Amino acid sequence: MDWFPVWLSVRVSLAATALTLLGGVPLAWLLARKVPRLKDLLGAVVVTPLVLPPTVLGYYLLVLIGAGSPIGRFFESLGLELAFTWRAAVLAAAVGSMPLLVKALQAGFEGIDPRLEQAARTLGHAEWSVFWRVTLPLAWRALVAGTVLAFCRALGDFGITLMVAGSIPGRTQTLPLAIYDLVQANRMHEANLLAAMTIVAVLVLLLGVGRIARVRY
Amino acid sequence: MLSIRLRKAFPDFDLDVAWDSREPVVALVGPSGSGKTLTLQCLAGLVTPDAGQIVVGERTLFDADAHIDVASRLRRLGYVFQGYALFPHLTVGENIAFGLRGVAKTRIAERVERISEWLGLQGLEDKRPRELSGGQQQRVALGRALAVDPDLLLLDEPLSALDAPLRRQLRDDLTRIVREWAKPVVLVTHDVSEAYQLCDRIVVYEHGRVVQAAPRSELLWQPASETVARIMSIPNVLRGTVVKATPERIQLIWRGQALEAVNSPARAYLPPPDSPIAFFVRPEYVRLIRKDRGRADPAHHMNVMHGTVVEEADLGTTWTLRIRLDEPGPPAQGAFDLEVEVPHLVYEILGIDRDRHWEFSIHRGSIHVLPG
Repeated sequence: MDWFPVWLSVRVSLAATALTLLGGVPLAWLLARKVPRLKDLLGAVVVTPLVLPPTVLGYYLLVLIGAGSPIGRFFESLGLELAFTWRAAVLAAAVGSMPLLVKALQAGFEGIDPRLEQAARTLGHAEWSVFWRVTLPLAWRALVAGTVLAFCRALGDFGITLMVAGSIPGRTQTLPLAIYDLVQANRMHEANLLAAMTIVAVLVLLLGVGRIARVRY
Repeated sequence: MLSIRLRKAFPDFDLDVAWDSREPVVALVGPSGSGKTLTLQCLAGLVTPDAGQIVVGERTLFDADAHIDVASRLRRLGYVFQGYALFPHLTVGENIAFGLRGVAKTRIAERVERISEWLGLQGLEDKRPRELSGGQQQRVALGRALAVDPDLLLLDEPLSALDAPLRRQLRDDLTRIVREWAKPVVLVTHDVSEAYQLCDRIVVYEHGRVVQAAPRSELLWQPASETVARIMSIPNVLRGTVVKATPERIQLIWRGQALEAVNSPARAYLPPPDSPIAFFVRPEYVRLIRKDRGRADPAHHMNVMHGTVVEEADLGTTWTLRIRLDEPGPPAQGAFDLEVEVPHLVYEILGIDRDRHWEFSIHRGSIHVLPG
């Protein structure tokens, strides 16, 4: 039994969640502002990963970060190859989980009484201070819920990862890809074990965090 | 001290107001949706006016022509929001200290303690806002706003969220606090008596416009128009026809009765004969004439009328009587012509519960003419 895919998936999902938070928190904040046109366009773009075929997302992501693209070349010059490495798997998982975090957090931000933020402004706080001391603390349940959802989604990504990171055993083969390969090779016992483990892990995570933080998804 | 000119247009509403005040405490009074809160938001820099100017003391906070628009956080004002908007994730102490930025920790503790003591919040510093009563929440909001020692205090319906018995007490407390603080205050309320008790000057709003701005007593006794009288929910706002107007007196006809009212020479309101005229009569100034003392004496009783009590309400210490005149024709106010208020004792002595037909008089000084 090869446990590499399990550890790779955990590491990739953690990194992807961090990346999702980095981009998703400002995005959710922006979407929760009352900026009419920006809101409509950005809101639509943000949910596309939920509805587009993973192959389409994976294809464009590959075009974006491939060895021939400016971004790919830039990272390569830093000695960081992207396409078909674990880094690409992180990017793939982050793209897939972004909408879950953003939507959950946006709802959290929008649920805050705007007068609380206004009160902070009249009390001498600049925008970043209002965000750290009022907005984010008041939306923390939404932040926890969105983060857990994002992590679980990252753990389960298949299509986008396959397109940009491949399924290289011992290098980029994450848990879902490993299960697929095991089924293809008719190694049902091992596939069964990994699949069951995944379900249990995700449920424990969702319920556990839900209980502790009294979060509803 | 305070000078405001504001214009702000929305698709379904526009605000266009100008008022200023030398008195420290100003009330904005008017029906909901008349632009009072919007004015506070403009003052606080939370809403940017399309045009105008805001000057507090020596400081210009906003001037559209000069492109001055001081950010909210730099305006140095305390805003007590309707419903208080306390930070639910912070304790009472942290709420009060929220605006104290760049102040040493020991100084903050000192200041929070002083404010707590002043407002009667000692012992509550570690509680969360949701654990407090409405009155305590109001004081925390007040404390949070005053802790930064602002140049101007804005109060948006500070008493409307409270129950009636508590409200009375907190109104007295708020009056004391506002007086002790002794810096400019703008209060928004729809309650005229609240405005009267707390403020020196009252600005009356309607549909995004100022309909009158005056010292409180002037507003109470000389509303500028029928509109103002109605906004202030003055009872017995009536309409008659002018017979003759001089700087001292105005004679008019109302419901077939010839009435005489005092005119104000200062105001010099001289409507031509036969023109319509609005006026009001305060219910507590209508005098019922006792039947056991002989005929009404024209020297003492002017503007004498007869009528029947058609409705009444026991308000505890007083009775409100609604009287319909003997005069034929439709009554002035639906089912009745005049609302009269009598003390409970008078109601009992005169036996009004049995005897429904009365003669009554109104002193000419108690008929207040409302300029058109």
